[in-house]
Amino acid sequence: MPSRKPSEPAAPPLLECREVKVSFGGIHALSDATLVADRGMVTGLIGPNGAGKTTLFNAITGLHPPDTGLVRLDGEDISQVRPHRRARMGIARTFQRLEVFGSLTVRENVLVAGEIWRRWSKNNEVDVAAQAEELIERVGLRHLARERVDSLPTGPARLVEMARALATNPRIMLMDEPGSGLNEAETDEFAGLLIDLAEEGLAILLVEHDVELVMRVCKRIFVLDFGRMIAEGTPKEIQRNKAVQAAYLGTAA
Amino acid sequence: MDQLLPFTIAGLVTGSIYAVTASGLVVTYTTSGIFNFAHGAIGMFAAFTYWELRVNRHLPAPVALFLVLFVIAPLMGALIERVLMRHLDRAQVVTSLVVTIGLTVMLIGLAQGVWKPEARAMPQFFGDGGFRVAGTFVSWHQTITVILAGGVAAILWYLLTKTRLGVAMRAVVDDRNLASLTGAQPHRISMLSWAIGSSLAALGGILIAPVLQLETIILTFLVINAYAAAMVGRLRSLPLTFVGAFALGLTEAYMIGYVDLKGFWQGLRPSLPTLLLFVILLAMPEERLRANLGRAAGGKAPRVPSLRESLIGVGVLVAAAGLVSFVLGAGDIQRVSQGLAIGVIMLSLVVLTGYGGQVSLAQLTFAGFGAFAMAEWGGGGSIFGLVLAAAIAAPIGALVALPALRLQGLYLALATMAFAVMAREMIFVDKRFFGFNSSLPVGRLDLGPISFDGEVAYMLLLAVVFGLVGVFVLWIRRGPFGRVLSAMGDSPAACATLGLDLTRTKLAVFAISAAMAGLGGALLGGVKSVAGPTDFEVLQNLPILLLAVVGGITTVSGALIGGLSLAVLPVLQERVPDLAGIVFLLTGAAAVSLGRNPNGIAFFLAETFGRFVPWRRGSRGSAEAEAGPPATEEVRKVAVA
Ligand SMILES: Nc1ncnc2c1ncn2[C@@H]1O[C@H](COP(=O)(O)OP(=O)(O)OP(=O)(O)O)[C@@H](O)[C@H]1O
Ligand SMILES: [Mg+2]
Repeated sequence: MPSRKPSEPAAPPLLECREVKVSFGGIHALSDATLVADRGMVTGLIGPNGAGKTTLFNAITGLHPPDTGLVRLDGEDISQVRPHRRARMGIARTFQRLEVFGSLTVRENVLVAGEIWRRWSKNNEVDVAAQAEELIERVGLRHLARERVDSLPTGPARLVEMARALATNPRIMLMDEPGSGLNEAETDEFAGLLIDLAEEGLAILLVEHDVELVMRVCKRIFVLDFGRMIAEGTPKEIQRNKAVQAAYLGTAA
Repeated sequence: MDQLLPFTIAGLVTGSIYAVTASGLVVTYTTSGIFNFAHGAIGMFAAFTYWELRVNRHLPAPVALFLVLFVIAPLMGALIERVLMRHLDRAQVVTSLVVTIGLTVMLIGLAQGVWKPEARAMPQFFGDGGFRVAGTFVSWHQTITVILAGGVAAILWYLLTKTRLGVAMRAVVDDRNLASLTGAQPHRISMLSWAIGSSLAALGGILIAPVLQLETIILTFLVINAYAAAMVGRLRSLPLTFVGAFALGLTEAYMIGYVDLKGFWQGLRPSLPTLLLFVILLAMPEERLRANLGRAAGGKAPRVPSLRESLIGVGVLVAAAGLVSFVLGAGDIQRVSQGLAIGVIMLSLVVLTGYGGQVSLAQLTFAGFGAFAMAEWGGGGSIFGLVLAAAIAAPIGALVALPALRLQGLYLALATMAFAVMAREMIFVDKRFFGFNSSLPVGRLDLGPISFDGEVAYMLLLAVVFGLVGVFVLWIRRGPFGRVLSAMGDSPAACATLGLDLTRTKLAVFAISAAMAGLGGALLGGVKSVAGPTDFEVLQNLPILLLAVVGGITTVSGALIGGLSLAVLPVLQERVPDLAGIVFLLTGAAAVSLGRNPNGIAFFLAETFGRFVPWRRGSRGSAEAEAGPPATEEVRKVAVA
């Protein structure tokens, strides 16, 4: 599927955030977050620690709806829709701090997601068990399929979350630092998987601290700093951007 | 309207006591993030200590008061924080609830051990002296109570808003790491807040004991009224807590004075605070789903047995019951039957809490409805009675859950407890139900050709039923619904992002679990062949949850261990009457130890002996639980990092 420019007026972008604000008590975690992510490509979201990336994911998925601002999916405002409804509209995610189903096995984690999907999509044709096996194979967890997830190290556990998210057949997948916990070879494989998924038409919004990985897989990158979008562009443009460099240097301990 | 003044004064006095107690609850909660279920028990224990010093040891009132309020109670609070609460994972709502419930039970046991139950007079301050206002007598004790409440309000307000320590105290609960960055020491602050909280609980207990009665249970459960008041301020706001306390105190007083409650509504007065608690809980806004809460209940569960294995388990259980029947006398056999019936009720908690992560303090109440159904429609032991017991309890469970669905963890637990109180005070005692101070005969199952009327037969029946319900529970666990339940228990937030409607899932699991509890109740009624309101006391819900968790809330064998212990432990007490309260002490201690090891006895046994059981090897199904503990640590670390 060919990628479109997000600003093209013909079809609205799949996901669009406009001036999203979220505050905790008096602290503005997000003061002006605007971004788009579209089908068929990986969009990067980077920023120093505490920039508000995870908070934006929570605003998009409805776990913590925005105080003000818009979240649009396919042109429709969903900023006050409840989380499970948003999921049913095709938004899936993984979590930075793992939210795996620890008391279930890897296979059960993916299977239960498929079963939940089957119930709300009323799609009885797909064999969710077979789909689960495929996904487990695809993220490379076949050898661990029978392990309980709370006995897995971080890297594979992140892949479980990914397979689980994919089991709901989403239109867009938000991934919060999926690369941490993977070694170099695994990261390579993972990058390939992301590109494949995007080529199949999935929209991916990727939060990642591994800059190399981001530069490799992302078509567009958005940079968040102190709750504000400070830059947007292709990987090359971002690498040259002064504001981005300042943000990263400024917070480097 | 010459009644107005005396009742207003009475209301203000009760309100003051509620306010003092409730503000202690709020202080510990805002600072440590742990809801102290044992708050009332601490107050009770302190009141007894005061009585001991003042009456038994003849210390002057000011000295005794000083010792209790400023030495003993704060030390107790600090000790509790240091030993029990500090290492508690605050996110594990069930564990922290169970640990404080365990502490409650333990303190009751301790008090009953030290102060043998007998009538004791708790002196009022300045004896019976007082003065008259517009013809109404006001005692010094009442005056002092109101003044002290005002003093507590002023001191807390000053402490929390005007001192650096207070600001730090309020910061701790929101973000421990942040608080320590700003130079505050969360542990010391938390310890201090427990000391202050205990001191306030003590003051509340000492003030109310002369008015009520110096009795362990009554004093301990007075705290429910404080919960209601504290909930008005959502456990955070002290001013609102005071408002709630006085509103509650005055309403209670005016109701005694002006409202003549008849029939069904007689139960309204004792359940008024709970009713208020229930209403406030229902009016609370929906909580946000939060990520990173961690599993609500239990630690790891042993792997799930296959169908073949669980059927073998049933066989072993029934055979064991058969063997036991040759050894035990009729009385002891009845005990075992009782344990098995309670075990069935605990199995309902395995599904609800162990798998689904929802807490309920009303399972015994559902059981009460089941027993009633059996008594009413089960005649001489018709199987329809048992079916109806489950069928009637299910919608009641759903009904309780319905308004409570928006609530999570702690609030849900309190709402179910409030329901339990209301059912006990308003429904069970109704004459169309069991009736006040009365009971109904409950038949034992009779299948025409086979009757289970004999003690041995009934015990064997219960062993079979427990086994079958256990197989049912494991069947659920292995199927799609069980997977969804476990997923919800592990991470509600992740479930929602997969598109799961949590509300419907919770409704379903409450209904199923209540049905199981109802069945258990019908069988429990059959053990003694009668059932009445006193068999389903609200208090008894606590040991049921406690021992289910101690046994192992995620396993069928845990329910068996829990049920049998609950039935058999009192025997110990009967045989050694000197150890009054030992049961309380033991269960309490076991529950308290959960803070360190939340897995329960069944898990321990499975881990220790499981590998030696030959037919467990090479089975299909879930993964072995033994795989790599170090790796678990890693996941954990990331999750809390
Ligand atoms: N529940 C919360 N309560 C209070 N403050 C919060 C909460 N969640 C996040 N914050 C604050 O909001 C800001 C943004 O946090 P967020 O987790 O979104 O950052 P992030 O970009 O994901 O950082 P990281 O790269 O470390 O994951 C931080 O200052 C954080 O302390
Ligand atoms: Mg983050």
